[in-house]
Amino acid sequence: MSDDFAQFNAAFFEEAAEHMTVIEAGLLDLEQRPADLDLLNKIFRSAHSIKGVAGMLGFTAVAQFTHKMETLLDQLRNGRIAVTQPMTDLLLKSTDCLKALIESAQNETTVDEAMVHPLEVQLAEASTVGIKVKDEATVEKVTGSSSPAALTSTSAAHSATGPLPLAASLSPAVHHFAIAWTPPAFLFQRGLDPQQIFKELGDLGTVSGVQLDSSHLPDPVGMDPEQCYLAWTLSLETTKSKEVVEGVFEFIREDSTLTIEERETLDVKRETQNERRTTNDVSRETCAAEGDEPKPLGEILIESGVVSRETLDHALAQQKRVGEILVEQHAATPQQISQALQKQQESVTHAKKGTDTASIRVDTAKIDKLINLVGELVITQSMLSDLSTRFEMSQLSVLLERVAQLERNTREIQERVMGIRMLPIGSAFNRFPRLVRDLSGKAGKKIQLVLSGEETELDKTVIESITDPLTHLVRNSADHGLEQPEERLASGKDEQGTIHLNAFHEGGNICITVADDGRGLNRDKILAKAIKSGLISEQDKLTDDQIWPLIFKPGFSTAEKVTDLSGRGVGMDVVKRNIESLGGTVSIKTVLGKGTTFTLKLPLTLAIIEGMTIRVGHETYILPMLSIVESIQPKADTVKTVVGKGEVMNVRGTYHPMMRLYEVFDLEPEYKDPTKAILMVLETEGERVAVMVDEILGQQQVVIKSMEQNFRKIEGIAGATILGDGTVGFILDVRGLLELARQGGPVTV
Amino acid sequence: MPQTVMVVDDSKTMRDMVTFTLTCAGYQVVQAGDGKEAVSKLSNGSKPSLVVTDLNMPEMDGIALIKEIRKMPALKFTPILMLTTESSDERKSEGKAAGATGWIVKPFNPEQFIKILKKVLPA
Amino acid sequence: MATAVAIATKESAQQIGIDADGNQFLTFQLGDELYGVDILRVQEIKGYTAVTKIPNTPDYIKGVMNLRGTIVPIVELRTTFGMPTIEYTMFTVIVVVVVRDRIMGLVVDSVSDVLNISKKDIQPPPDFGAKVDVSVLNGIGKSGDKLVALLNIDRLLTEGEMREAAAVASV
Repeated sequence: MSDDFAQFNAAFFEEAAEHMTVIEAGLLDLEQRPADLDLLNKIFRSAHSIKGVAGMLGFTAVAQFTHKMETLLDQLRNGRIAVTQPMTDLLLKSTDCLKALIESAQNETTVDEAMVHPLEVQLAEASTVGIKVKDEATVEKVTGSSSPAALTSTSAAHSATGPLPLAASLSPAVHHFAIAWTPPAFLFQRGLDPQQIFKELGDLGTVSGVQLDSSHLPDPVGMDPEQCYLAWTLSLETTKSKEVVEGVFEFIREDSTLTIEERETLDVKRETQNERRTTNDVSRETCAAEGDEPKPLGEILIESGVVSRETLDHALAQQKRVGEILVEQHAATPQQISQALQKQQESVTHAKKGTDTASIRVDTAKIDKLINLVGELVITQSMLSDLSTRFEMSQLSVLLERVAQLERNTREIQERVMGIRMLPIGSAFNRFPRLVRDLSGKAGKKIQLVLSGEETELDKTVIESITDPLTHLVRNSADHGLEQPEERLASGKDEQGTIHLNAFHEGGNICITVADDGRGLNRDKILAKAIKSGLISEQDKLTDDQIWPLIFKPGFSTAEKVTDLSGRGVGMDVVKRNIESLGGTVSIKTVLGKGTTFTLKLPLTLAIIEGMTIRVGHETYILPMLSIVESIQPKADTVKTVVGKGEVMNVRGTYHPMMRLYEVFDLEPEYKDPTKAILMVLETEGERVAVMVDEILGQQQVVIKSMEQNFRKIEGIAGATILGDGTVGFILDVRGLLELARQGGPVTV
Repeated sequence: MPQTVMVVDDSKTMRDMVTFTLTCAGYQVVQAGDGKEAVSKLSNGSKPSLVVTDLNMPEMDGIALIKEIRKMPALKFTPILMLTTESSDERKSEGKAAGATGWIVKPFNPEQFIKILKKVLPA
Repeated sequence: MATAVAIATKESAQQIGIDADGNQFLTFQLGDELYGVDILRVQEIKGYTAVTKIPNTPDYIKGVMNLRGTIVPIVELRTTFGMPTIEYTMFTVIVVVVVRDRIMGLVVDSVSDVLNISKKDIQPPPDFGAKVDVSVLNGIGKSGDKLVALLNIDRLLTEGEMREAAAVASV
């Protein structure tokens, strides 16, 4: 049934995600304001929408589950059941489950029934409390079965009440019906037209003996022409059943006086009814069967008693992979097989990529503006080409002016196009109220979450990639940063701790801060831990700014006990790595006893970076600005060779490992003497490295192009870009360079 | 000259699905995201041959919309179909009392939809 | 080893079956030899322009080129086949081909004609000895008095660069 609508699947998933956000945020608000009816209505409407569309698209599991949530929500908004903490808890849990169900519908995977079923039962139980006896029966009926067939049968029942029961075509017997119909006086006010009814009856068979009963017509003086005073009797000869004939009057039957009498024997009618019921059963079974995958051969063999399960398992254990068999029979070499497997893997990942079609909703105003700009660009271009056909030196100033205009147009279009990918960060912040609520419950702390700057816009891809790191940071603040209520009271603080998430623009970057008013980082504890885990030695004299970043080291965790929330030593290093892979940085500000603030600084978009172009020999490379600490022309005594560690460079007393780019990339440089060359001090993940190049050419914004699209990843290179002269330039990957240098130079193949 | 149907639903996907069904059957469609938008389009001269409306909507719900439409002289007798998800008799009666002509139960398929539509819409 | 060759030949025979449906081949010159690729796999032919060398890649990868905003790797076919390199002339061109959704350019000495070669005129590749790996050939086609070595470009990339890519990915 859903085939025609399959094209709307993507739109549904997008819309459903929005509704899920509304539901979740709404439920959280509801805990604060349990009596807010508008809020309940809003939540209900979202659930209702998901259910409606999911049903239409054949996502029965989603529709069914949402139906159960909706039933409970309906009871809540009608005031039949009070909004309590357990209720919102149950609904929030159900929201998670519904999310999983929607995801699995999207990815065409199956959902763990063990998660869904208990919630369905709980929802049904919660909905039944305080419901009138009559309604209880309905709920019972709906929740009684959790098989996919349940919803299918409901929809089958719907169509049965519709105009065309399935049995109609199966019963060839001709029926004679005598129909007497007195419509209500307000027939016309409901937009109904008796002619339509007669026409529909005519479509069912032969209408004869129509008699108009106008006896109820009042005196013309007091008559309201918009009222219906008429009644009809007629006979109908048709092969359709009585239900079908009744169906014609479906919308008005309850308000009319209607009799439909069959002139045939009653037996025929009963038979028809039975027949119809059978057909319905059949169609239900067919529907259920259609949803099933074909069974594996082994399962069928077991079912039909040919083999036992043990025999089958044993046989399956002996089964080998095709590749192994081919190699054994010398039909193919292991290399050939592994190549084929590689190919298979590629096509699988490819197929996955293909289905993941994300879309962005764009304000039409943004598009209109863009169209205007393109219009301007076209005009500028035609003026330029016009000028070029009959150019004289005297027109040079005109030419320069036009080129400047072209530049303006281009820049503006670039900005606007980038703007299309920009979304408010609020969509990433949305999940945190729920997270903090759960965290405070688990940790037994009182936590208030403050959000600000939600309207700050940044690239959709960046938003998607920072959600995980942000979650880690918020978890960290809730678990490690904030103290237990008693401890807070003892130190003269408010019992309730605060986590503040803020976003703002700064230069070409976006800053996101996660601040708590907790205990702050403990210098001694971190030092002790770092020494214990061998990150530093006891002799090291470190400043505060050198100590705090230690918490980003892999394997570092100061939490005294490992909790469910965080503190397994994974997390903070992942946060830093993720943020840096986006071209961003993380910094820490902390005051003992007052709190800690993490600041993430990220580029607005991943498509363009600010870069420094440098030259080695004849090659031009780009270094990401964010990774550059400084550039130095070294004096002779600052570069030293350390046995077993290669060259190091002394920068104001600190030694950094040094790397000659021409060696790593196997190039012919202009200078081999460091004192003539330039050393770029670069930083990645807290490590510094000095990279030797011939010359700095300048600073420019570059558009990142993929190397992997047509080729593959190259070690030490993050991506490519098109330089001003149209040739390709490579953007260097500082982390990768460091790895290359550690391996002791390149592996030339 | 194709007949025009107004589709009112707060779910864009639902609106698009109904619109798809209708355009495939040769009807013209005017969309509205809630009752308020529908009323404003209708009072600005839009005169559809039929209105299909959801019941649960923000701003102005389906029942209130039906009442408003019945107050408009030009649309007094225009057929209105309600989109309901379950055969919730309560809402259906409310809708009928407000002046709805009939209802279509979700989920439906295009054939079912058009069949019900033709019940109330003169060709 | 004997088995492996037998397999390769069998595979090539199947490949001929596929390519013969196309029937048209773009031919080009490498030294004295004439090579052909299925015309359906050719996206365009470009005059040779400077490419950017990719660090730490084998010699036959010339580098990358900007093809209307996408980065396209360029393969030096002479080096791939173990032939000596020559000075580029005004006839040197880049044949841009599509290999499994990827675009790549092949540097060849010069392009010749587009030839119709019917299936019956294509024979399985003979053993060239060590000079050319026969597995990169689909067969030898005959058109008039010309002999054309028909390239299996999927294999060309699989055997060369992609194997390396796979090795990198699996590390």
